[in-house]
Amino acid sequence: MFRKILVANRGEIALRIIYACKELGIKTVAVFSEADRHALHVRFADEAICIGPPKSSDSYLNIPNIISTAELSNVDAIHPGYGFLSESAYFAEVCEASRIKFIGPSSEAIRLMGDKARARSEMNRIGLPVLPGSADSIHTDKEAIATAEAIGYPVIIKAVAGGGGRGMRVVHSRNELLSSLKTAQAEAASAFGAPQCYIEKFIERARHIEFQVMADEHGNAIHLGERECSIQRRHQKLIEEAPSVIMTPELRAEVGCRVVQAIKKTGYSNVGTLEFLVDEKRQFYFMEMNTRIQVEHPVTELVTGIDLIRDQILIAAGDRLPHRQEDIQFRGHALECRINAEDPVTHRPSPGKITSWYSPGGPGVRVDTAAHAEYVVPPHYDSLIAKLIVHGSTRDEAIRRMDRALEMFVLEGVKCTIPLHRQILHNSAFRKGNIYTKFLEHLQEPRVRAVEMA
Amino acid sequence: MNLKELKEIIDIVTSNESIEELEIEKSGVRLRIRRSSNHVGSVSTASVASIAASPTITSAPAPSKVLAEIEELFYIKSPIVGTFYTAPNPDSEPFVSVGDMVEKGSVLCIIEAMKLMNEIESEVAGEIVSVLVENGQPVEYGERLFAIRPR
Repeated sequence: MFRKILVANRGEIALRIIYACKELGIKTVAVFSEADRHALHVRFADEAICIGPPKSSDSYLNIPNIISTAELSNVDAIHPGYGFLSESAYFAEVCEASRIKFIGPSSEAIRLMGDKARARSEMNRIGLPVLPGSADSIHTDKEAIATAEAIGYPVIIKAVAGGGGRGMRVVHSRNELLSSLKTAQAEAASAFGAPQCYIEKFIERARHIEFQVMADEHGNAIHLGERECSIQRRHQKLIEEAPSVIMTPELRAEVGCRVVQAIKKTGYSNVGTLEFLVDEKRQFYFMEMNTRIQVEHPVTELVTGIDLIRDQILIAAGDRLPHRQEDIQFRGHALECRINAEDPVTHRPSPGKITSWYSPGGPGVRVDTAAHAEYVVPPHYDSLIAKLIVHGSTRDEAIRRMDRALEMFVLEGVKCTIPLHRQILHNSAFRKGNIYTKFLEHLQEPRVRAVEMA
Repeated sequence: MNLKELKEIIDIVTSNESIEELEIEKSGVRLRIRRSSNHVGSVSTASVASIAASPTITSAPAPSKVLAEIEELFYIKSPIVGTFYTAPNPDSEPFVSVGDMVEKGSVLCIIEAMKLMNEIESEVAGEIVSVLVENGQPVEYGERLFAIRPR
């Protein structure tokens, strides 16, 4: 077992990792930028070292300083959290070379899954259905037109190195195809440094459903069921839940079994998530695999009763999977609302000082956050300030619980997404579970127009 | 530190005879205030004249003569996380010691990070006032290594 772990992250996930380490009796080393000197992860870790100025490229992404810190503080392992270096194959490789355990899969697995086009063809080869589309990146206009015709419109153009919605374009007809492709390639080049894009079928009312998996380094793998993350804005998840309203135990077992087979074949270890688009006929199409712990992992923790971060650390230390598939049971319903420091209508970031703060409690409520009264939300990092997660015996109970928790959440000084969450929760289509990835876009359209006209 | 704060500090020293000397260091500014008279509490005959000269008989408090000295120090900060070494190897003399004059670009120390020895150069010319880290100690990003009195 590890004696000491360096937490290469900030905010709520850094704290979440520190909780797990404390419960396992593992010492922690926090790293921080000059903007986070007074942050809670710095306060609660056993040691803390400043690794750079506020800009993340000079601090939380500064591999030499993080590795130096790991060596100076003599840690056995690094937990990368999510974002930052969590899916950097290069960083995992540097850790491997420095004989520091990277808490995650191997650098090869990260590299394979990081190349979205290669990951899709590989997963398709070993038995997961993928959306019809170009197997590889598109090089010529002729190729683009032929591919789109073969798939049938509408199609979506995506960056090979993409993620987070950048470099994506939906195309409804041949007229828009080439100009959209050029825009997508330009966006991809500036956002990811690689212009390559691919084309695939676009599903009009698709759900985003993902499967949580866990695999040890001895060839064992299980799945922990699904999370539905269809409530998104610009491909950024806002509300996640488990189970999905369209799921049945039979369908879960069927898709879960294929997912487990696939990751066993790739030799994957540690935790991971396979994301699927699901059409109205409940057909699952593999989109991509995230090779890290995810923001929305608590939703799975609440319905399965499993501590994912703890297990992630145990697996990285070489332990066998602590659970068998037949032991995994799904109880009740969990929801997570991401409370971001941003304008609920325009989604513009709203950094600044939190002047007043109360986070709700009571039965079935969990708040994962590193914010507090007088905390200053720095402008340098993402806008997530709290994850409000609830558990109820039914979806309806979970929604009511979430609604009262949102009502009782006091957060003043910065604008946040609480009013938007309440609006979604009160929407009758949401209550019925009629959700899809464009739900929020359609819900907000009239409001945005009204604001523009005013 | 603004003039108002400076005046207040001087007032504290002048109104409190038990303060002989005060030195404050705050955000790159070092302030030293010292009484020009000898120890007030001492009864050495040599100081009698100066004590007698102070108007102790009058009720109004009279300020003693105070010497204020303000200086701007420049701090060399660590640009990386690593281990601080004052000399190129254990058998060598340190690159610099307190009192040494350095030029801009002079090597001040080495910081070892990921098995690489990084020479840290002075950003200013001046006199080394203090070495703030001990040889062989780990340093974090932005940690102060040397205080230099710029020339």
